[in-house]
Amino acid sequence: MSYWTAFILTLFSPVIGGFIYGLERIVRARMQGRVGPPLLQPFYDFFKLMDKRSIIIHSFHAFMGIMYLFGTWFALFVLLSGGDLLIAIFFHVLSLAFLVVGGFSVRSPYSVIGAMRELLHMVAYEPLYVLSAAALYLVTGTFQVSGILHSDHIPLVYLPLLFTAVLFSLPAILKKSPFDTAEAHQEIIGGPEIEYSGKFYEAIYTAKWIEYVYAFFFIFLFAGGNHILGALLTVLAFFFFNLLDNVTARVNFRQMVAFHWYILIPLAVTNLMLIALWRS
Amino acid sequence: MDFKSFRKKSPWILHYNTGSCNGCDIEILACLSPKYDVERFGALNRGNPKQSDILLVTGPVTKRAKERLLRLYFEMPEPKVVVAVGACACSGGVFRHMYNVENGVDKVIPVDVYVPGCAARPEAIIDGLIKALEILKSKGKDIELPRWCKADVKPPVNRAKLLNSCLEEFHGCRRG
Repeated sequence: MSYWTAFILTLFSPVIGGFIYGLERIVRARMQGRVGPPLLQPFYDFFKLMDKRSIIIHSFHAFMGIMYLFGTWFALFVLLSGGDLLIAIFFHVLSLAFLVVGGFSVRSPYSVIGAMRELLHMVAYEPLYVLSAAALYLVTGTFQVSGILHSDHIPLVYLPLLFTAVLFSLPAILKKSPFDTAEAHQEIIGGPEIEYSGKFYEAIYTAKWIEYVYAFFFIFLFAGGNHILGALLTVLAFFFFNLLDNVTARVNFRQMVAFHWYILIPLAVTNLMLIALWRS
Repeated sequence: MDFKSFRKKSPWILHYNTGSCNGCDIEILACLSPKYDVERFGALNRGNPKQSDILLVTGPVTKRAKERLLRLYFEMPEPKVVVAVGACACSGGVFRHMYNVENGVDKVIPVDVYVPGCAARPEAIIDGLIKALEILKSKGKDIELPRWCKADVKPPVNRAKLLNSCLEEFHGCRRG
């Protein structure tokens, strides 16, 4: 993919993410036996927030919210332009760090607790993404996304355990139940995003849509050069994670980190070791 | 571009119980359940004053809840509407003229829609929400103050100071 197509696709990624989020809300409502909002609901929210008065706590806090948006946006651009997988992961971590710093910079206890939990989220799931980047390198021989997307191998065939692990940590990256301690809406009311309002909350809201695209693109990569299989995997992951969101309750942060470090990461490492053994 | 028409399509709700018996609160939660499902209209129960448009208040406003109600009201960014749900919130209900209540939400903050009933039926609450959305659509973005608060609102508004001057008036003295 050329830089320009990637640029345009990245520019419109909030629209794609918004549709994914709208669809998610409908799917979740249908799973609960409700009708659910219209598909365009996230965009209605977006335009409404544009019209709201913004209350700023202090300018640094608001700035961090906007940097969170641009950080995730840039991480997605690195992925879509066929760049280095590790750089994309790095920028994603950086964008979350902006959110965390913003969360710590206000005096609201919910915001501070949320920011701490956000850090624990990163501790839990980021190693998995780095491991999956390493695994994709082992299978396809490159860290470049463009290389992986044109590879002859299908990484999923070599990495079933790792793919399962990434699938189970999807709720952690998108902050959905059971791993939604960072923005537990009934408990700490959004965590680090609690103090944002109006246009600045809009930035956070949009960044979350972009994270949807980012996370599902990662799933897409597991199909390598076979793009139809990739699309299929993405749809499957979407329904799986909605189902998981609906049928599970929130676990506490210890259980979340323990589940990742004692079950998912060993699973991923086992997969990596088996590949290395098999190759040698 | 005119964004006013979108206000109607995504009302985010903040629900506050000012000493209600929990009857109306259960009915409000029933609105979110599969049978009534207000998310059809894009309504979400946010629980966060800074991101909400509609303040649903239940209960007769006890003396303790008054200050919290005022704080929540000031933390909500404009445009916003207030819906008083239930007999207690409208007029004090069975608690009217008791020593510990304020006889209704409109004694503390400006109320736009009154939903009667003890407890208010979910259908009535949804009707009240729809009514509130019509009011929300025509509202401006000026800061509204409670009737009893005489603080002056000049353009660069410091909301914390505004709240403090209102609270001073409320307590009759400076605190802390």
